[in-house]
This record gives sequence, structure tokens and C-alpha cells, in this order.
Amino acid sequence: MNLLWKDKIENVDKIRLNAPVYYAVDFEIKKEIELPTYGYITLKGSEANYRVKISEIRPYENMKGIIKKTTKKLKTLLKIEEIQDISAIPISEFKREDGTYLKRITKFSYGILEEQGEIKIKKFEEMSEEEKKLMEDIEKKYGIKLPYSIIQKLLDAKEEFSLKKSEFNKVVERAVEVYKKREVDPYEAVGIVAAQSIGEPGTQMTLRTFHYAGVAEMNVTLGLPRLIEIVDARSMPSTPVMQIHLKEGIREDEDKVKEVAKKIESTNIIDVGNVITNIADMSVVIVPDKKKMENRGIKKEDIVEGLSKLKLQKLTVEIEEDRIKIKLSEPSYKKLYQLTENVKSLTLRGIKGISRAIVRKSQDNREWVIYTQGSNLKDVLDIDEVDGARTRTNNIIEIADVLGIEAARNAIMEEAINTLQQQGLNVDIRHIMLVADIMTYNGTVEAIGRHGIAGEKESVLARAAFEITAKHLLTAGVLGEEDKLRGVAENIIVGQPVTLGTGAVTLIYKPKKR
Amino acid sequence: MEYTRFEKARIIGARALQISMGAPVLIHLPEDIVDPLDIAMYEFEKGVIPITVKRAK
Repeated sequence: MNLLWKDKIENVDKIRLNAPVYYAVDFEIKKEIELPTYGYITLKGSEANYRVKISEIRPYENMKGIIKKTTKKLKTLLKIEEIQDISAIPISEFKREDGTYLKRITKFSYGILEEQGEIKIKKFEEMSEEEKKLMEDIEKKYGIKLPYSIIQKLLDAKEEFSLKKSEFNKVVERAVEVYKKREVDPYEAVGIVAAQSIGEPGTQMTLRTFHYAGVAEMNVTLGLPRLIEIVDARSMPSTPVMQIHLKEGIREDEDKVKEVAKKIESTNIIDVGNVITNIADMSVVIVPDKKKMENRGIKKEDIVEGLSKLKLQKLTVEIEEDRIKIKLSEPSYKKLYQLTENVKSLTLRGIKGISRAIVRKSQDNREWVIYTQGSNLKDVLDIDEVDGARTRTNNIIEIADVLGIEAARNAIMEEAINTLQQQGLNVDIRHIMLVADIMTYNGTVEAIGRHGIAGEKESVLARAAFEITAKHLLTAGVLGEEDKLRGVAENIIVGQPVTLGTGAVTLIYKPKKR
Repeated sequence: MEYTRFEKARIIGARALQISMGAPVLIHLPEDIVDPLDIAMYEFEKGVIPITVKRAK
């Protein structure tokens, strides 16, 4: 028997910092529970996010050093030994005592975790003592906090070259020196530098979309059109493609990979045969093409089964030797036309949106990879054979929906840098990182331009200076908007120094020390 | 306090303007320094300019 309750993230953090600790909760536990047991904490009520080990349950009394869930109506004390971040388990996997399943947790509930499967515990690695000490030493000595990755590299180097203490200190000194040199000064116009650094190479890019050369040609937007697509944050790229990597044991076998590819590629009736409308006897006739059917691994029965999915009206399906005849129950030209259209676009199998799937050797020649035209990340990840960690799509919005905003940020960076590199242009990644940050900082992917970031600026004058001047000024006038003159564009308009570089410095008098 | 390059430029610029308009020089100068901007830079290096910056928190 497990306990489940809903809690706030602040309390979880408190428990994490103080465990083992007594935790006071506002519900009574009346049933006998075998100890030690696990408790599950949910944040939203729909899935369990944390697991705690409970070693003692007793009535509430005020003691020193306990953590309280709320300020009043506390009833029980739970001794929590440890708390673990687990990959979310849906609440619906917990059973009530009477055998039914739980739906939501509003406050507190008993439950039994049905399938004990593997519970994935997320681990947070803490800095080692050595790393911590080095970081503190550097901060004390140079007044600067180096990023963790640099600390790691320094210590790796120390081990690799077995440096003496004095030598290592020199390395650290040099690292700090270089780090400081590369740092950007406050009020440096990084955005403008980034825009220019991406814009100038952009002028050298191809304006044309062109085809991949190769056995299996696929059309992919490249060059400037693709770059524009990325910064515009279009909901669908003009040529969505995916690279689907498969799990070990399958990916080395071409036949098995082709099998999966067939499962992914969506097949319509029109792909495996002809559809003829016969007006004379009000029927639609499907003439399957044997060769095409074999290629796609579709049988006649599959087509008949697929037809049963048609939700038009009563149909009679007659199977003849090399054709399938569908008859309408009542004659109507309109309905006959509609039926033809529906039959043509009927999906027999596969994943929606993926029109082609091609199997090719990967570049390092070690495995077979499925390349698809069309993208549907969510459904592809649901397939058992797919290795989700290495599967990718070029549809950034889809990534944001399925995997989250940080993944989308990385996708923007990767897509942009790849597009530039394909054209032989080398742009520093930090410029692109800035663009990706600006596009994603508020939690949704937003375009750069009138509909996205620029249209959101606080200042009226800055917005008016960008595009559609009259409209912005008019609405600002009607609403009585105020302009704080904090940005660059508005200060240029009113003729003040801008808040960048030297313009952002305020001088004050420094009296002489006596 | 270490100054950024913008702050340095601003301080030297302000001081050079004062000197060019006749403000007394605060330190004994080598003979070859005559230009107000050079004087301001010399003063900055020696740390005698009574100007500093106010930084946003």
C-alpha cells in the first residue's frame, strides 16, 4: 500500500535539502500500513513526479526541525528517509483497494502501484569536493566564477598531464585570463553584432531550393529559404523530413529496418492501385496494382478492411477477382463524387503525415537509417523499434510541442548552423545561440519579426520605427500609451544618446581620498 | 574597480573635454604630452581623474 498526495514544489525542495526529516501533513492515515513504504508526490494531480521513502508514521506533534506542508490543520508526521525524482508515472496506473484505478489526486489518497516495472530515478550529480574547492579557490583569487565545464576540463588536464601544483596554478591563471578576455563587456551591442554576423554570410547563400543528389532523391529546402523558415518559426517547414534511428539489434539488419519503414510510411489506396468512378452503375471501382501492392506489402484484404473505416453511409463492397467494387445504396452524383475522393485519400496503414520512407546506410556506414519525407515526431516515437534519443526532425515547432522548449532551442541552433555550414559559411555558434535564446525565452517558439519578437516590444516608438508605423502610433494615441525611452530605437528618435556602449555609462564625481 | 572599455572611453572623454576648456591639470606632465586627449589618458593611467561611474545594480 502506498500513499499518494499532491504537494507544492517548494515543499519538495525543502524535503530534498533536509532529508531524512519529519514532514508534517494535513491528512490522517487511518489504515495500517506496512513500513517502510513508498509515498508518491504529485504536483499536478495527474502524474506522480517524486517518490519518498517513509519509515515512520505517527500523529502530529510540534517538534524542532520538522517541515510543515501547510501552516494549520496538521495531523500526521511522516518520517521521510529520502526523496527521488522519478520519471512521471500516470496516476491511472495506481489501483485503489477495491481494484478500481485512481483518476486524479486532489489532496491525498491510498493506492497500489500496479505494475512495478522499472521506475526511472533521475539523478542529479553534485559537484565533487575537488571541483567545488577549485571553483571556490578561483573565485577567491580572481573574483570570477568559471563555468562548471571549464572546471571539469582543468581537472581533467591536471590528471592527464600529471601537473604539479605550481604548474596547475599557471594553467588556471591562463584559463582565467583567456576567459576574461573573451567575456563580453556590459552594454556591448551583442544583438546587432549577431544580426550582422548572420546577415552578411546570408547574402552569399543560395536563393534556390534544390535536390539532394543521390540514389534516393528527396527534396529538402536549403540555403537562405531554410534559414528564413527557421527564424520565422513557421508551424510547418516547407519540406519536413525526419531521420529515424532504430534500436540495437534491428538497425544492423536491412530487412528488419525496411519492415519498420513500411510500417511508418503512410500508404493510401491511390498508391497501390487505380480508383475509377463508374457513373453508369453508380459505383467506385478500385483496380489494385499487384506490383505496387507487393512493394508496399499490402494485401487485398487490407484494402477491404480499410474500406470499412469509411464513415460515409451504407456501402456494399463486392470483391471480384482483380477489382473491388463499392456501390452506393442510393444513387446520388454528389455522394458518388465524395466517395471517390474519400477512397482515394484513405490511409491503409502507416503514420499520418509521412509520405515517403527511404532506408539508407548512415554516414558512418554502421547502421541503416530511415529517412522520411513528412514529419510526425509524436507517433514515430511511439513505435517500439525506434531509438528516440537519436531520432530527429527538422520541424522545430513540433519539437517544442513534443519534447519541450529547451529541445526546441537546441533544434533552432542545430538547424541554423547546419544550414549555414552546408553552404560553406562559418558563423560563430554564439551568435546563433543568442538568436535561439531570444526566440524561445518566454516558453514558446516565437518568430523574429513583426509577428514575433519585434511586435512585442514594450516601447511604442520602437514598434513604430520597425514596421506599420501609422497603425502603432494611432493605437498608442487612442490608448494613451507611455514610452519610458529605455531602448535604443526610441532614444535615437528623440535624439538622446542610446543605452549602449559609452552611452550607457553614468559618470559621477569621485572625491579625493584624504 | 576595473572599468569596461566603454567606461574607460567615457571617463577619458569627459576629462579631455574639461582639459581642453582650460581645467587645471592634476599631475605633473612629461614635456612631450600636449594634446588634451593625451593628457587625459595619462591622468587616467596614473589614476588621478576624480571621476568614476555609477553602475546599475
